Amino acid sequence: MSEDLIIGIAGSGGDGVVSAGESLITAAALEGYHCVMTKSFGSQIRGGEASCRLRLATRPVLNPNGPLDVAVALNWDDFRKFGAELAVEAATIVIYESSTGVAPDKLPLQGVKPTVVFSVPITEMAAQHAGTDKAKNIVIAGLLAGWFGIGRESMLAGIRKKFAKKGATVVEGNVRAFQAGLDFAAANPLPEDRRLSAPQSGGETKLLTDGNDMCAAAAIFAGCTFFGGYPITPSTEIMQFLEREIWKYGGTVLQAEDEIAGIGAVVGASFAGQKAMTATSGPGMSLKTEMLGLASLAELPLVCVNVQRGGPSTGMPTKAEQSDLYQAAFSAHGDCLRPVLAPTSVGDIFGVTVEAFNLAEYYQTPVIVLSDQEIAQRKETVDPIDTSKFEIINRRQPSGAELTNYARFKLTESGISPISHPGMVGGNYLAAGIEHSESGRPTASGEMHARMNEKRFNKFNPLKSRRDLFAVEGDPEAPIAMVSWGSVAGVAREALRLAQAEGLQVKLLVPQLLYPVAETVYQDFFASVQRGLFIEQSHQAQLYRIVRMHVDLPAQVKPFAKSGSNPILPTEVLEKLREMVVAIQSGQPQPEAIED
Amino acid sequence: MTTLEAPAKPVSPAKFVPGDFKSDLKPIWCPGCGDFGVVTAITRALANIARPPHEIAFVSGIGCSSRIPGYTTAYGFNTVHGRSLPIAQGIKLANPELLVLVASGDGDGFSIGGGHVAHAVRRNIDITYIVMDNQIYGLTKGQLSPTSSRGRKTVTSSFGSLEDPVNPLLYVMGYGASFVAQGTPADMTGLAKIIEEGIRFPGFAFINVQSPCVTYGLEDQQLKAHKTNMQSLEAMGHDASDRAKATELAREYGTKLYTGVLYRNPNPPTTYGQGVAERQEALKKLAVPRHEILNRFKPTH
Repeated sequence: MSEDLIIGIAGSGGDGVVSAGESLITAAALEGYHCVMTKSFGSQIRGGEASCRLRLATRPVLNPNGPLDVAVALNWDDFRKFGAELAVEAATIVIYESSTGVAPDKLPLQGVKPTVVFSVPITEMAAQHAGTDKAKNIVIAGLLAGWFGIGRESMLAGIRKKFAKKGATVVEGNVRAFQAGLDFAAANPLPEDRRLSAPQSGGETKLLTDGNDMCAAAAIFAGCTFFGGYPITPSTEIMQFLEREIWKYGGTVLQAEDEIAGIGAVVGASFAGQKAMTATSGPGMSLKTEMLGLASLAELPLVCVNVQRGGPSTGMPTKAEQSDLYQAAFSAHGDCLRPVLAPTSVGDIFGVTVEAFNLAEYYQTPVIVLSDQEIAQRKETVDPIDTSKFEIINRRQPSGAELTNYARFKLTESGISPISHPGMVGGNYLAAGIEHSESGRPTASGEMHARMNEKRFNKFNPLKSRRDLFAVEGDPEAPIAMVSWGSVAGVAREALRLAQAEGLQVKLLVPQLLYPVAETVYQDFFASVQRGLFIEQSHQAQLYRIVRMHVDLPAQVKPFAKSGSNPILPTEVLEKLREMVVAIQSGQPQPEAIED
Repeated sequence: MTTLEAPAKPVSPAKFVPGDFKSDLKPIWCPGCGDFGVVTAITRALANIARPPHEIAFVSGIGCSSRIPGYTTAYGFNTVHGRSLPIAQGIKLANPELLVLVASGDGDGFSIGGGHVAHAVRRNIDITYIVMDNQIYGLTKGQLSPTSSRGRKTVTSSFGSLEDPVNPLLYVMGYGASFVAQGTPADMTGLAKIIEEGIRFPGFAFINVQSPCVTYGLEDQQLKAHKTNMQSLEAMGHDASDRAKATELAREYGTKLYTGVLYRNPNPPTTYGQGVAERQEALKKLAVPRHEILNRFKPTH
């Protein structure tokens, strides 16, 4: 029996590769399994190569990375184009289209000889039973349901529903195609039973969606009524989801003429009192920089989602990376600070986005949400979310008394000044990017500028004590530590699981709040630590460097950083953790702290 | 008065005077700047419109002209160079009840801000765009502007500009604007009138104000010259509903100073805001409570 299966399916666009994956993950969600699915395509708009990877498990899937347990190839040319994304090992069960004419012992895989290989006449089975080779994905679903025990009933129900409108003949044809897959699997059993065990959590139906849609849904929940943006891979789905929904809530989505106009409209909407959001990727963030600075100076709330992709410049639009952290923290010119939050999965981007709106409103600031292409575009089963747990915070508006001689930028103890908006009697003020006095009037006074800078920085102090925005996992006194963020935190979590299974004393810190740096949280975490790793997907190890700007880390805490599109594997991390354990046990001396 | 007594006269709408719209912030402009006249004309127009200052959002970019919102009592927003149009549109979409004005200059509006003009025009959100066009960059002390003439010598064109100027009137006419007007503080009554008309016009309204820079402008660009050269479109018998004629006259920007309404679409297209309102009304009933939004992620085949 299996607890965890990684399945990769590849073929030409139009082969139904993604449909097969969708059926599988839907069945998994309905039956209460945990599943994460990623898709990968060639760069053509239509046709080209297509693939999907699913990781199906009986307990939460922390990250989709890893070599395939099962590989399904509809043709080898397209399969091989995906290279290391669809890594086949000797133990991988290979299922492939027999009409490729390839012999099972002569698979075109460099230096790998899988031992369990099935050549299956998938296309022929589809044509024979459903009357069309478009039913290939149905046959694949049947094969996988048969061999791995996934979602047989759910998938049959799905087939019936999907083709209902096309009449009984089509439905029955597809049911037969599915059955043909099941029959082939029964007639050609695996050397050992690899069917999935029952889900550990009791099989409750899960939600199923991807990170972009979940982020957009969270915005609706948080009360967002304005979105301004511009299409850019891999963020566009956020705008598209909101564009289908927001009118129902009296809101507006504006696809503006460019990235700057998109966030410009958001700044305007916020000035007018609305909860407003934009979403983009790295190149768009670069364009939006000036507006972020304006919103910071004018102390206007807004949420700016950056779905990170490979950079710099045009970079790799369809690949994830974590190389925009420096930009998120430091972009706009001048001394200003914008909070940066990072979700780790489709499940938690909901809470992170809601928190982003709350922070934006409370602190009257732009807040940047650093998502990434993987979280954005992977489909994931999510345990049902209890929305009643979430508090919604609105900006502090002036009371009647405060509207007499109203001073928009009043220097208060907390640094937060009550904010009016057009339409509010007595709340008239001049908002500006220019430095200003308490009333909002332009000033070039050094003294006022210093006081306003203090206000704009000090107002964020309580944020640095928000320990609820940090997860600490593992043995709190462990001498070996990991820090990881975003989608890569899933890899670190899996490495922690593996380490604990071996009895290693390790702990993990996953920050959702990346900036400002919560010094005391890091200081407390690293108090017991001798050796450690910051695990992240960027050439410059950006979080590691930013934390080091503010916190003295133990000398042997090092970056484990790779450029995007170089998957970090839990086993690689585990190897490093083992080395650290050995190093501590062998009593290697601690070198002086060095700048590397 | 008890409820049994009828009022002596119908209660009149709120009465405003121009002074209600002028703030006490001292302008940074040079004495004699054309912009003084513009802000006065705006306050006169607003007094007639009779919306209270707190219902007015006045957005601007960067430049001498962009200082104007602070000199009024409206909610003002000095934004960043060239980006006032998108911000103003966001304000109006967020709260359609507000009266939204935008102030800009030839540089802010047609150089760095030029890319936004087409979209503001075609989107046709109900805002009024007042551009103070003085063919020079005043605030930054005398550089070339996109409306400066070819050959013009400035601090960034010491040997003369090698470029032909942009024609703001043709620019907006070309993009299909429905209300295009031009004025000068040399004719305060006319200027206040077209500003008021522009504000009242349902949709995007463009008003180009020839507002001279006394410090860096040329002799023949000053108010005195305007008084001599300006030609009232109304007096010429111009039919503002004639788009072709308006376009023809627009071409003469730079050589002629036509004042008044150049073009007013007799059948103005519906505003963006109208479309939004209709859509919101139609789709309202489909809204699930916000806390139930996650239900749409329940899996089905």
